[in-house]
Amino acid sequence: MASIARRQPRPPAWRRALPENLTAWSFVLPASLLVLGLGFFPVIWSFLLSTKSSNGFGPEHGVGLANYRALAHDPEWLAAVSRSLKFTALYVPVTVLLGLGLALLLNQKIRFIGFYRTCFFVPFVASAAATGVIFLYVLDPQYGIVDNVIAWMGLSRQQFLDDPDQALFLLAPIYTWTAVGFDILIYLAALQDVPQDQHEAARIDGAGRLAVFWHVILPAVRPITVLAVVWETINALQFFDIAWATKRGGPIDATTVIIVYGYKLGFVDGEQGLGAAVACVLFLAIVALVLMQVGYARWRKLDVV
Amino acid sequence: MKKIPLIVAAIALVALTATSVATARPAAGKPVDITIWHAQTDAAQKAIHTLVTQFNKTHPGIVVNDQLGSNGDEMVQKLQAVIGSGNYPDIAYVYGSDVPNVSQSSKVVDISKDIKATGFDWNSLYEAGRKTATVGTKVVGFPAVIDNLAVVYNKKLLKAAGVAPPKASWTWSDFRAMAKKLTNASKDIYGTGFPISGSEDTTWRLWPMIWQQGGEILDPTNKQALFGGAQGVKALQLLSDMTLKDKSLYADQTPDSQKMYGLFDSGKMAMVVTGPWQLEDIQGHHISYGVQVLPSFGGSHETISGPDVYMVFNHSDARRKAAVTFLAWLHQPAQDLQWDLATSNLPLSAKTAALPGMSQFDAKFAGIGLFVKNLANAHHIRPPVTGYTQLSVAVGKAIATSLLGRGSPKDTLAQAAKAADKALS
Repeated sequence: MASIARRQPRPPAWRRALPENLTAWSFVLPASLLVLGLGFFPVIWSFLLSTKSSNGFGPEHGVGLANYRALAHDPEWLAAVSRSLKFTALYVPVTVLLGLGLALLLNQKIRFIGFYRTCFFVPFVASAAATGVIFLYVLDPQYGIVDNVIAWMGLSRQQFLDDPDQALFLLAPIYTWTAVGFDILIYLAALQDVPQDQHEAARIDGAGRLAVFWHVILPAVRPITVLAVVWETINALQFFDIAWATKRGGPIDATTVIIVYGYKLGFVDGEQGLGAAVACVLFLAIVALVLMQVGYARWRKLDVV
Repeated sequence: MKKIPLIVAAIALVALTATSVATARPAAGKPVDITIWHAQTDAAQKAIHTLVTQFNKTHPGIVVNDQLGSNGDEMVQKLQAVIGSGNYPDIAYVYGSDVPNVSQSSKVVDISKDIKATGFDWNSLYEAGRKTATVGTKVVGFPAVIDNLAVVYNKKLLKAAGVAPPKASWTWSDFRAMAKKLTNASKDIYGTGFPISGSEDTTWRLWPMIWQQGGEILDPTNKQALFGGAQGVKALQLLSDMTLKDKSLYADQTPDSQKMYGLFDSGKMAMVVTGPWQLEDIQGHHISYGVQVLPSFGGSHETISGPDVYMVFNHSDARRKAAVTFLAWLHQPAQDLQWDLATSNLPLSAKTAALPGMSQFDAKFAGIGLFVKNLANAHHIRPPVTGYTQLSVAVGKAIATSLLGRGSPKDTLAQAAKAADKALS
């Protein structure tokens, strides 16, 4: 028995030559390659493309940073940025607040709660193309159910998505409808982590429902709120699928937000270098946003990143 | 530092697998697999599928896979995306106006020798189709359809509104007056429609209205836009007045103009400017219709003929030859007639037009004879320049902006002309 308890045998020489964390690397390598391949290479590729003049078919040649300079002087690009910012302002606060509100309602012990939760989550997993088509039908100025209800109530018919003044304002709530399921989900998880003893302590101290919400629940879900705001801001800035599925960025250019503009430049106008430059500028903006989130979280010592 | 060789090895392994896939060739005796993106829907999709099945049965050495690929309006985008990745089709349906632009790709090669090798009589095809499928001296594909624009009207709606069918000598003012009379807001009936999705389907409808007045799209050097001149403004003003003042024109924002044709098919639109391809669909909805040439400005009834092209993309000699073999077979009079009968498209060659079976064609699609005759009213072609794609986008936007009442025809066309000049320079 004693011989077994002796010190471990020395590993062979070839093993000693390898770094200690080889096992760890072998575990993370497949996933790392996947992340590199799917995330990192396209970014590099886009940047390289953005320094070229290419229409996707003909020969391409390097132009340095000319595409970026062209963007800076492009009024349509500035218009697209301003549309994206408007969309973000319309979309993010509503989605995050609605997510929290619905999570509070769904965080109760009532019958069929699982069913209700599923109902709110279904739009999140539905495809954007399907969502777009559904809303095109629902909001159709001739046959749509919404316009017919409005007409039945004696109000004037609306053009909805066909109206350049309404389209962007309508896309924001449509996108909220599809995305709020995610905010509900993370808030539900956070709410279930709020310590029960704090609840009870507050109650014993005579706090009402509002006070409990304000002083116990809200601080407890703050890290999740930071996450949700940043997450949804990124989503809003990258908004594309429903805008494309419904109106192709129209009517005229009313829903041509940043990515739609980049797509049109690259694939409709055949200016792939310019389109890639749009993607790169947006990428940098989002990186800056995430860094700000990390900075804020560290400063407030929030346990989120 | 020891990690690096491992990563390099992994990357090398991935690269090796990739190249081995890319260089895989069909073994001798195995049939050559090719893919066509035909962009056809509904009856036309069924018709092309039937033809492909027939071809595959009679040609054991080749297997053609027919796929939608994309709708016609977005084929260029789709091709741009796939050509870089190598997963491009062997044949794709491309709008005639996009052919010069797509032909810049190194995957597009001259197929005239391959055509000769099949023994196909290239010159039997109508000239308009051959011209559109030729860029410079390169033959880049086969004409897929030859069409032109005329007015299709719903006989029942005209009768109900007490409007006589249009005469061959009618003018655009007649057209406007008729559309106004035919519009019935209480029944949701529009006089006519116009696509404003901003694609080429929006733009090309303006050209005959300009040509009829003696105007041109570009100057003779193809460097400067002329469409923003008085003729263009007059044409767009008419459309915008019909939309905004008369409310007799339905401005359709859907891609591929589905809504406009849907309204016509369901008896909610009295007249529509369209091509022969739409007749099959209209008949399918049991609409009793008539066809008349385009209304005129100053006596000219000029129309536009926009042949589209089945472009061939080169993968390998074997695949390119197989693609040409298939297209040559598809363009034999017997197959051409079969396609025309199923889809109400016009014959692509005089040989097809001379077949005895063509009498069936006239009997099956009322008014198709007028489209055949109307080819004689097509005198101009769209400028065959690479900048046309951007020009088309700019003009499409100008038309949409005007018809939505967000800018005067004069201003919007002037802005489009500026963008076009930039694209052409």
